[in-house]
Amino acid sequence: MKEFVFIMLFLCTILSLFGIFLYHCHTLRIMRRLEEMIDAAIDGSFSEHTFDESRLSALESRFAKYLSASETSFKNTTMEKDKIKTLISDISHQTKTPVSNILLYSELLAEQDLPEESRQYISALTVQAEKLKFLIISLVKLSRLETGILTLSPQKTPVLPMLENLAAQYAHPAKEKRLTLSISEPESLYNLSAVFDEKWTAEAVGNLIDNAVKYTEQGKITISVIPYEIFLCIRIGDTGIGIPEQEHTKIFSRFYRSGSVHEKPGVGIGLFLAREIVTLEGGYMKVSSRPGKGSVFSVYLPL
Amino acid sequence: MAILSTTNLKKIYGNGENAVHALDGVTLSIEPGEFTAIIGTSGSGKSTLLHMLGGLDRPTSGSVTVDGKDIFSLKDEALTIFRRRKIGFVFQNYNLVPVLNVYENIVLPIQLDGNEPDAAYIDNIIETLGLSEKLSNLPNNLSGGQQQRVAIARAIASKPAIILADEPTGNLDSKTSQDVLGLLKLTSKKFSQTIVMITHNEEIAQLADRIIRIEDGKIVTRENM
Repeated sequence: MKEFVFIMLFLCTILSLFGIFLYHCHTLRIMRRLEEMIDAAIDGSFSEHTFDESRLSALESRFAKYLSASETSFKNTTMEKDKIKTLISDISHQTKTPVSNILLYSELLAEQDLPEESRQYISALTVQAEKLKFLIISLVKLSRLETGILTLSPQKTPVLPMLENLAAQYAHPAKEKRLTLSISEPESLYNLSAVFDEKWTAEAVGNLIDNAVKYTEQGKITISVIPYEIFLCIRIGDTGIGIPEQEHTKIFSRFYRSGSVHEKPGVGIGLFLAREIVTLEGGYMKVSSRPGKGSVFSVYLPL
Repeated sequence: MAILSTTNLKKIYGNGENAVHALDGVTLSIEPGEFTAIIGTSGSGKSTLLHMLGGLDRPTSGSVTVDGKDIFSLKDEALTIFRRRKIGFVFQNYNLVPVLNVYENIVLPIQLDGNEPDAAYIDNIIETLGLSEKLSNLPNNLSGGQQQRVAIARAIASKPAIILADEPTGNLDSKTSQDVLGLLKLTSKKFSQTIVMITHNEEIAQLADRIIRIEDGKIVTRENM
């Protein structure tokens, strides 16, 4: 009797161990299938394996549905984005010609014999048209950069020639405001180079110098270059009106203009464009400034 | 990649002298999200083609591939489940379950799969199809047009990847037809569903992205709109 109980107990133990083993195998199989499913989804090659009444098969179907739904919503977002980009570039391109014509006719009009009052209106008209033209040119540049129609081709380039060109280009407007525009210690910059696209970087740095000239009433604008371990820093320092700290991040956004500069000409796209260009080159931009103490804009270009 | 394709699909009823070639070598492929209309006269083989596309009937020769899978390589039971999960049907003769009321008929395919119906979505469908008042009626208390609308609601309720519809607006007035097709197009855009619709109405076929004409079991022209 005792032996019988013992044998039964032993058999039960064996059976339950066997059951546990089977369950373990089953769980392992499910886990393996789940892993396979997720791997296939990452590859983008997921398809349903089995069609039966098991819960795993139902899960596969639901997973497939989820994947196709997220793919659909991704496609829709991309399509909407593309539409917006096309719209922007259409607007930019299609408005170019009429604006040029407005400028042309207002110049022709200014050459006529006109009363003084009309002359004022015409010059206001010209200023506004110039502004519109600048805005549209900037938008065209932006939309081309953003849609990838224009790609930057950064190459190892010496910085001094570009900076000298820019300094020469802005020497005249600076002189008109009696500002000193200079490159600090140019002789030490001969060997310095960084990886950047010369044409577009000149555009970005040019925008910074343009701003410095625009927002400085007296003093000087200094362009300096500091080599670091992995970046080369180009600094544009001025002694202008400065920017309060709470606006330091806002000034880089599209069409943002600080309240203190509303009377100055400009559309608020220069800094945005500059940062866009520098970021596409793998660099970054920084600003340090306080109201009344001038500003320093730094462009970090990869070496 | 095509979501639905057939290669040299043939269906022959009877044999010898009396053999009828219902489908005589149909090869077509339909892209995901496409809204295709199959148009043809009565007896041209369009319903047979639709039944093959949905795996309801086995062809004499040729294959049908849905979402990369040759559906006739599946066993009958697997094929049934495949159909339930992937394809929504709107049959010409509605095929509603007579002992279930309208609402139960609509959510049946979802519940068969052990899922909970998406209440807000189904309410929206019911509203659009004008079935709100009839939810607790049994199918045999409904008119033909109403039954057809229930069949359409059932087909789209489970958001299938493919909707196969056999004359889905055959019994509807023109206003409701437009609404129903509008709903079909809208949901297909939203969930990127592929729709294949049989019709003999040229006007309705014009709403599709693509028209396939079928005559004597053969495709005659394809128009890409």
